[in-house]
Amino acid sequence: MTVAERMLSIDRRIIFLVIGLCTLIPLLYPVGLAIKVSPEVKSVYDYIEALPEGSVFLLSLDFDPASKPELYPQAVALLHHAFKKNLRVIGMTLWLPGTGMANEVVSRVAREDGKVSGKDYVFLGWSPGGSSVIINMGQDLYKAFPTDYNNQPTKDLPVLRDVQSLRDVSYVVSLAAGSTGIETWYVFGKDKYKFELGGGCTGVIAPGLYPLLRSGQLNGLIGGLRGAAEYEVLIGRKDKAVAGMDAQSATHFAIILLVILCNIFYLLIRASNRQAEQNRSERA
Amino acid sequence: MTFLRRQLPLLITFVTGILFAAQYYIPHPSSELMLTSVSKWLQIIGGFALILGVTSLFHIHAVKIRRKEAGWGYSFVLYAGMLGTIVIGLWHGGKETTDGVTTAFGWIYTFMMVPLQGTMFAILAFFIASAAYRSFRARSREAAVLLIAAVIVMLGRVPLGEHLIPISGDITQWILNVLNASVRRAILIGISLGAVALSLKIIFGVERAYLGGGKE
Repeated sequence: MTVAERMLSIDRRIIFLVIGLCTLIPLLYPVGLAIKVSPEVKSVYDYIEALPEGSVFLLSLDFDPASKPELYPQAVALLHHAFKKNLRVIGMTLWLPGTGMANEVVSRVAREDGKVSGKDYVFLGWSPGGSSVIINMGQDLYKAFPTDYNNQPTKDLPVLRDVQSLRDVSYVVSLAAGSTGIETWYVFGKDKYKFELGGGCTGVIAPGLYPLLRSGQLNGLIGGLRGAAEYEVLIGRKDKAVAGMDAQSATHFAIILLVILCNIFYLLIRASNRQAEQNRSERA
Repeated sequence: MTFLRRQLPLLITFVTGILFAAQYYIPHPSSELMLTSVSKWLQIIGGFALILGVTSLFHIHAVKIRRKEAGWGYSFVLYAGMLGTIVIGLWHGGKETTDGVTTAFGWIYTFMMVPLQGTMFAILAFFIASAAYRSFRARSREAAVLLIAAVIVMLGRVPLGEHLIPISGDITQWILNVLNASVRRAILIGISLGAVALSLKIIFGVERAYLGGGKE
């Protein structure tokens, strides 16, 4: 077995160790490189920034705890921004396993910003049906959610004053880890009930949403931890996403290095195999 | 019986299909009222789907335990975890906190479900790195193009990449916004046209697989 062959069949635990160290060391010793803000993240920020005080902002936290590292920081940044702008915030989720987490993030950020449940914000919780929940909210929000997560009748909440359906919502942002998520909000919500829609998603599904961005179906997109870090930079509140960018830089570079090494070894093996084959044919 | 098994479902599908396709273009109050009622039905049916899913999961794992199939111990863990969570959840009315105090249900959610799901997803990074090392090779020209694009995007999506090669961020944006978006759009249009064609086939009774393969 040649050196190249040995290197290609290296114990995968060594790779795991490299990735583990690349994640851990930058978290312990952050460098804090500058983060450039992309136009798609800036669009979401600019839209919220331009909303007049008291406008209704709906944040749908359509993810479960598996996607917490990427989407939770996005939710925190968006909520801080909305509360800072004194928007009326409606929180909800279309993913049942994410309900507790969604309630926790909305309540926690609201508490930090001195906002009151029912007056400044409401968390509606989860309702079964996915796309039909969106249609139902578009027809009559109070039929879709007669009570909020704390069993308070939604009709009586001051935060929902003059809000009858999704048509009365100024801006919706869906933070999604897959389906049901951003595309569902566009197809069953924005297209019919004519509100502006922005999105936030995991890095894995972000490339799939770029066609919606370019066509104006989405006005902006926050992609993965990087997107969350950009938003934190925009609102001037560097938090967990910015802290995680050094680790992400290191792991990306480790993977790039591994891919380059693997290709060098692969090409070496291929060249030596060709040489051996040539020698054999010459001898024959 | 054939009428109940075949003609009636086909008739219901045809009438509702035409009705709700037309509804989208008719903003009359009665049309909107009909949509409101039906979307509420859909939500209720969605609730039943959840019950169906849980029942099915219980059934599958009960069979595994009864037959002592390979890995039946995991099915037992699933049973214990699910039943335990359901009982505790019902006890606390499905609330994670009561008057600011975390309930047992909240404890299970926060300290078991959240870290377990997070861990499962985090493990992916390690496997992706290992898989990339073993299989991401430039075996052909197409694979080489994919490889180069992937390396550029990986560079351009992190601050260190943009710091070392400032143009990598712009190239990444161009790859995502132009190459990726155009290809994705083509795929999306294809899928959508296929969905429209399939919907029409179902509405007009050409496609009947959804009726099942029972006896006539």
